[in-house]
Amino acid sequence: MSDNESLKPIDITAPSLEEAIDNGLRRLGLTRDDVIIEIIEEGSRGVLGMGSRNAVVRLTPLKPPRYPEPEEMPEPEPPAMPDDEIPDEPFYPVDEDDEDEEQSYQVGRQIAVDLTTEEEARISAETLRELLSQMEIQAEVETYRAEAESSDEEPPWVLDIHGPDLGILIGRRGETLNAVQYITRLIVSRELQRRANIVVDVEGYKMRREQSLRKLAKRMADQACRMGRTVTLEPMPPNERRIIHIALRGDQSVSTESVGAGDQRKVTIIPVLGK
Amino acid sequence: MKELVEYIAKSLVDDPSQVKVTEIQGATSVILELSVAPEDMGRVIGRNGRVANAMRTLLRVIAAKQGKRVTLEIV
Repeated sequence: MSDNESLKPIDITAPSLEEAIDNGLRRLGLTRDDVIIEIIEEGSRGVLGMGSRNAVVRLTPLKPPRYPEPEEMPEPEPPAMPDDEIPDEPFYPVDEDDEDEEQSYQVGRQIAVDLTTEEEARISAETLRELLSQMEIQAEVETYRAEAESSDEEPPWVLDIHGPDLGILIGRRGETLNAVQYITRLIVSRELQRRANIVVDVEGYKMRREQSLRKLAKRMADQACRMGRTVTLEPMPPNERRIIHIALRGDQSVSTESVGAGDQRKVTIIPVLGK
Repeated sequence: MKELVEYIAKSLVDDPSQVKVTEIQGATSVILELSVAPEDMGRVIGRNGRVANAMRTLLRVIAAKQGKRVTLEIV
C-alpha cells in the first residue's frame, strides 16, 4: 500500500457523531490529533428509530494508519456478571443459515489465495453498485471492514449503501436488504470461487437494529424472570434471532430457543427456575 | 425489470448465452419469464427456491415504484 493510498480519507456512518468519530479512529488506529475530521452529516434521532439519520464523518489521516496492536484492544469483559453489559459481539453476525447455500466454495479456497481481500471488497462493491443500478436505485456504496470478531477469523467487509429514500431497500423486517445481500454474495462468491465474506447494510440499519434488539432481549429476559413465564418475541429473520440468542447467552437466569417454522419462527425466552 | 433478472441470471449460470427473459407488460402487472439452460435451472431457483424468491423480492422494489405487481416465472 503506498503512502497516498494509506492517507486516503474514509467516511464513517454511525448513529451519532461521537460514535462515528470513535469508530473511525479505532479503525485507523489514530487519535484525534492525527486526522482531519469533516462532518458530512450531523445525524438526528428519529422517533422510534423511524426517520432517524445517521451521522457521517470523513476522517483524513495525516499520517499512515496504525492498525491497533493486540495489546491496545479493549480487554474482553468477563462473561456472566449479571449487571454487566453483554460482552461486545461483532455488529455483523453471519446469518445462521448462510452455510447451506447450494453452491459450496470451500474447494475453491486454494485457487483464490492470491486474491487479496481488497480485491474481494472491490469486486463486492462493484457487484452491489451494478445490482442497485439495475434496481433503478440511486445510491452510493461505502466499503469498510467490520470490527474483528476473533483474532483467527477475518471480519467481513461491510458494504453500506447511502442515498435518499432507501427505506424501500430495507423492506419489511429487513427482507429486501437480506435479498440484496444474498444475491450480492452469490454473485461475488461465484466470481471469487470461494465464499464472499461480506455484509450489505443500508445507512447502518443493521447496526442500529442490532443495538435495539440487544436492548429488547435484556428487557424481555427481565420480564420472563419477573413473571416466571416464558416470553415469546415477534417472528424474526434468522440473523435477528441469532442476535437475541447471543445477547442472552451469558445470562444464567434464562435460556432461549427458537420455535415455529419459516418466517413465523420466533425466539422464546425461558426463565430458569430457582434463579 | 427484465434487465435486472438478466443481470442476476447471467451472473449465476454456467451458460449465460442461454439466459432469456421475456417481459409481458399489463396495465397493473408485469410477468417475467426466465429461461436458462437445463443444467443451470438449479442455480437460478436455488434450494427451496431461495434464489428465485430473492429475485422476486428485488423485482418488487422496482414494481412498487411503478405501482405494479410483478410475477417471475422460471420456465
